[in-house]
Amino acid sequence: MFEDLKPKKINLTEWSHQFRKISDQIIKKYKYYGNQDWGIYLSPPATFMVYGARQLKRLKFDNSFAALRLWGFVFNESERLFRAKQVGKKVIATMGDLGTIPVIVMSFPDCIPFYPECIWWTPFFNESFILLDMATKLGAPEPACFSRAALAAFYKKAYFPKPDLMFASTGASCDDYSCIMQLIEGLGYNPIWIEIPFRRKSRSYFVADDYEHTKWGIDYPKRFETYLMSEYEKVWQNMVEFTDINNRNYLAKSIKNANRLRKLVENIKKLSYEAELAPFPGLELMVIEFGNLYGYADFDEWTDIIEMVYATISERVQKGEGVLNPDALPIAWVTPSPDPYLLNLVEDLGCRIVATEYVINQALVEIEEDIEPFQALARSFLNASLIGSTEQRVRRIIEGVEHGRISGVLITNMLGCSHCAMETRLIQQMLSKVPVLSIDVPAPFGITEQLKSRIAAFVETIRCARR
Amino acid sequence: MIGYTCSYIPVELLAATGLKPYRLLHGDIGLSKDGERLLRIDACPLVKSNIAYIIKNQDKFTALVGSTGCDMARRMFDIVDELTDIPVYVLNNPRTDNPKIFNDEIDWLVKELEHLSNRKLNDDLLRLEIERWENIREQYRTLNKKRAANPSLISTSDFHKAAINYYKGDVDAQINITEKHSVNPRVYLIGSAITYGANQILELLEQELRIVGDFNCGISRFLNIEIKDKNLNGIKHAYYNQPPCIFKRPNHKFYEWTSSQLKKYTCDGIVAWTLDYCDSYEFELKRMESRFGFPILRIRSDFSFQNLSQIKTRISAFREMLCSKI
Repeated sequence: MFEDLKPKKINLTEWSHQFRKISDQIIKKYKYYGNQDWGIYLSPPATFMVYGARQLKRLKFDNSFAALRLWGFVFNESERLFRAKQVGKKVIATMGDLGTIPVIVMSFPDCIPFYPECIWWTPFFNESFILLDMATKLGAPEPACFSRAALAAFYKKAYFPKPDLMFASTGASCDDYSCIMQLIEGLGYNPIWIEIPFRRKSRSYFVADDYEHTKWGIDYPKRFETYLMSEYEKVWQNMVEFTDINNRNYLAKSIKNANRLRKLVENIKKLSYEAELAPFPGLELMVIEFGNLYGYADFDEWTDIIEMVYATISERVQKGEGVLNPDALPIAWVTPSPDPYLLNLVEDLGCRIVATEYVINQALVEIEEDIEPFQALARSFLNASLIGSTEQRVRRIIEGVEHGRISGVLITNMLGCSHCAMETRLIQQMLSKVPVLSIDVPAPFGITEQLKSRIAAFVETIRCARR
Repeated sequence: MIGYTCSYIPVELLAATGLKPYRLLHGDIGLSKDGERLLRIDACPLVKSNIAYIIKNQDKFTALVGSTGCDMARRMFDIVDELTDIPVYVLNNPRTDNPKIFNDEIDWLVKELEHLSNRKLNDDLLRLEIERWENIREQYRTLNKKRAANPSLISTSDFHKAAINYYKGDVDAQINITEKHSVNPRVYLIGSAITYGANQILELLEQELRIVGDFNCGISRFLNIEIKDKNLNGIKHAYYNQPPCIFKRPNHKFYEWTSSQLKKYTCDGIVAWTLDYCDSYEFELKRMESRFGFPILRIRSDFSFQNLSQIKTRISAFREMLCSKI
């Protein structure tokens, strides 16, 4: 087995050097879809730079073997999806809901869910405008969420295979992606549209609805569960028609699998955020959180990787080892950054991410296992980040600030993104007890000295405030 | 007053509370700038203006009713809720074809409005309100026929000025529009809301063109509401089945309906008016060009009208192009 070195963040060259020490036997041990012939995914991150992910040469990575598995697996996703089609698996695009519909899809044997919108990282990893320019040609305005890259990816047919079935969730979510999905349909695709209801917060003057609370303490009108349940029933029926399989026991198993991963990730976050030294870098932790959505198209292998990550982090915490300076400032990150380099940069400038709100709360909460599965899915989705009020969205961060665990908040916005435009000022106001920096994520390769200075000033402000 | 924001909110129910329904259709650069204290610069200018108007005039509103139409319009109420004591009711207006949600939400709204107003919105009261509002809409429909006639007999600019009374709940106001015949190229207006302060753009357009139909919030969309059964079910049916907003998913029916209107009104071209960062329309402009097959003049605005001369030149060029085709 490969022996992990003292934890630190390393660059591409260092990883390539380190990779040489890994035996072929170990490399062959890890494969997606359990396939020995073509499922091997371990390779030094430099391989993916050669394939086009040019940004990797500027990034720093955790030096653990677990992180190597993680990166190899994540960068292998496109190949994996094409392979899935080749070997007769069904590739299902689940757009817009970020976390729940894949649990249903995975109840059907050989059905692989994926989120086309997750391709929003690609223009940044590739330092390329190809997808964004094409999205503009296809009608998406330039000031809009970078998830518009998905539109171009559907058009180009080179980033993932043509889905066998598509679900498109819309409603009380962001307008940008709803519009992008509509344009995708306009390219000749045929998504099944799924409604996401707005989670109306209870008010003292409301009389007409009975309210329930999620496990995270978020209130919602009880009847909204039934709306979601009927939408999930629609997903199920479409999957049954598509596969000719109808076994609800598989759904219970799929929920268990999802929960296994969700618990692991929750534990990883808790360990990482509460340890005296940051045991794992913020960039990898973001990739881990987003893995909850669909396991990067091989849920079992991803869960296995996350178990290894958890073991690595546990060991580091036990030994009191970390990857950042002991005086790194604890901050919360609100809204995920499509530019991975920002996460490196913020850590390099002296911060440590100890709380996140990456608009995927619904993919982080455990799904109840002792109630009817569709109801359980509905109740878990009702924790979603973007379907309710801003206060509900950032409540956990507010609590973190109140308890002194968070010393600053960084909000990364996308120019023209509907929820960023509306929520950011309110979030700034709600978290005004600590320094809050709100920045617009620039287009690929657009992080300037000016932006770096703003982040450096933010770090300085936090330091002053703590003194 | 009871403020509201969306074409899917039944004005009859709001009026039945005894309050004056007031459509939030504010759009001027001053208010929009004020709104930027609460919202980022890339928020919709209509939302920025409306929020600033609400905050400045909060004592005038007994309650506000919104819907989940556009994301920004929905989120505006979240901010109002945080910053004021005005009761806020946001109903789920489903984007997909889901009448059950819409009908349930109307039932919810009725109960909440009854509680708010301490009035029972019973069949008799609803029938009275439906008849009252239907009667007003009928008067506007008569005017609309003149606007759509060929040649067009009244301008959309004048129609808009009159329709403001409807939107502001001034239902007893006299509707007087002087006929102004026009043989200018006939265009259909489509896009973001035409606000109370945006009449200027209509006037400018109609110096060279004649707008004979529209699908913008703020002009004639309310004419499509025709309540046959004079009861709550009739309200639900009429509002849910109105020509669908562009944000409905999928939005095929929007295209079908608009295409039929373009033919019906024998239009020569389309003017697409979009507000900055209006996702619902900006994402669709390219598709509109190919789907409708009509020449389209795009006008983008933040209500500042700083580029009025430039717009004027573009309108003239558009007219020339249409005339050469005619």
